[in-house]
Amino acid sequence: MKQLTTLFLSLALALCAGWHSAYASDQIIVVANTSDDTLMLTREQVRNLFMGASVGRDLHPIALPPKHRTRSLFNTKVVGLAESRVQSYWAQMKFTGRRSPPMEVGDEEAMLRYLNEHQNSIGYLTASTDLPDSLKVIYTTE
Amino acid sequence: MTSTPKIAVLTAALCTALPASAYQVTDSLEVSGFARAIAGYLDHDSRRFEGYTDEFSITEQSLVAIQPTYSFSDKFSVTSQLIAHASDERDSGVEWLYLSYQPDNAWHFRAGKLRMPFFMYSDSVDVGYSYPWVTPPVQVYNNYLFPTFNGASASYFYSGTDFGLNLETYYGYFRGDLFLAGSRVDVETKVDDLAGLVATVSRNNLSLRLSYHQGDNQTVIPYIVPLKDALYANGLDASARSLESDGQVYALQAAISYDTLNAFYKAEWVKTVTGYDIAPEVIGYYFSAGYVHDDLTFHGTYSNSEYSEVMPVMELPTEPTGDPQTDALASAYYQAFATTPNGSLESYSVGVRWDFRLNMALKADVTLFQESNNDRSGFFNGAAGDDANATLSQIAWEWIF
Repeated sequence: MKQLTTLFLSLALALCAGWHSAYASDQIIVVANTSDDTLMLTREQVRNLFMGASVGRDLHPIALPPKHRTRSLFNTKVVGLAESRVQSYWAQMKFTGRRSPPMEVGDEEAMLRYLNEHQNSIGYLTASTDLPDSLKVIYTTE
Repeated sequence: MTSTPKIAVLTAALCTALPASAYQVTDSLEVSGFARAIAGYLDHDSRRFEGYTDEFSITEQSLVAIQPTYSFSDKFSVTSQLIAHASDERDSGVEWLYLSYQPDNAWHFRAGKLRMPFFMYSDSVDVGYSYPWVTPPVQVYNNYLFPTFNGASASYFYSGTDFGLNLETYYGYFRGDLFLAGSRVDVETKVDDLAGLVATVSRNNLSLRLSYHQGDNQTVIPYIVPLKDALYANGLDASARSLESDGQVYALQAAISYDTLNAFYKAEWVKTVTGYDIAPEVIGYYFSAGYVHDDLTFHGTYSNSEYSEVMPVMELPTEPTGDPQTDALASAYYQAFATTPNGSLESYSVGVRWDFRLNMALKADVTLFQESNNDRSGFFNGAAGDDANATLSQIAWEWIF
């Protein structure tokens, strides 16, 4: 009986760990190159910042290219719009002369390099990314 | 060169010269643009709508536009937008030309020739890629008075911890053709002291847009002028004054939209009022809902618009008097009021949009229009006794670069 309980517990733990790691890989961190140690943003602020708003600080959003898995996760978890709707939004903003979409970099490696080199830049990465000291996590998705 | 070859040459030149996204000519000069090709058919043997008849047409709304932006610095730039419409009924040429100053992320100042931000999509109505329909609900979007103005605008976009706030205000003037009650009126219009305020508040994916616009309008309607002069000459001042078309014009708008990952809901309401007797007040609104599945969007929309009744001054006799001059004046005067738009125009529309590439979409819409007052809807210009129903079928190809 004891063996059966141990087996059951191990199985449950393994399942939990497996589920947790799958879950963790879908997690997104929003990272900024900032000298302000107190800076933290809400989901609403991150969303609006990447849609062209100001959060009252000099922050420059950087995006990954469309179809990139991390961008799709960012769209789903933070923006709350499918890529086609994000594209429509930017078409409206751009061709009504209001705002331009964030600058794009090719992949997460390029994102990390860009953020590291540019003060006040802000971007998103998968949660498991190793960050240099210059970068600070200012928002983490659920 | 007529419009159709002109648009073909422009499209060919653009396709050859430009890649799929905005073209960075130099570090300072970027050229982007958009194009739409629309085919439509109206199943009615005696009506026209937006130029569509019961013959298949691809020239009514098709267009190509290029938008060069030259940046002097991070904060200063100049932008133009040049549009070539396939239809000769629409104005081709410089749609925009303005200087832009962005001191920080929140503020944006522009000065020059700008687009009127009347309603949710009125300043991007030529950019079909920015909305789900082939033609945005005409009851709202064809009632807007004029598409551009000369002046300056300031906008502010700020996000608090749990809300977004977007404010825009503008001031300027307009000279040119007037759109009244859904169709271009062939009149010279001057609008001075044109001003407006647009406020959009959002939280999560719920957004509310409220706007107010006003201007001091002076319009000369050529066919009314001789009648007005004759009325004044005969001492019928009250009747003559009721035909004046100078005064305040204002528009009030409210829109709400809610977006989820796989659905959207939108509603918009507008009211346009003029300060003169001959122009009716008009209210237009629509409700729209859509379902998004991967690259496909399915949507349905109900729209309606209603005109208020315009009242003539009862100074002239309404029955024949036997005096030829009085009877002619009375007939012309009451006829002018009898032909102003009246009644309502309802429509039901279903459509699908397929975003088959990142910067391209194909669309198909079917819209059933129902008029309550056939000869005076302001949209179809049909005759009394016509079939009150008409179905518009459209397909579109939208491209941005």
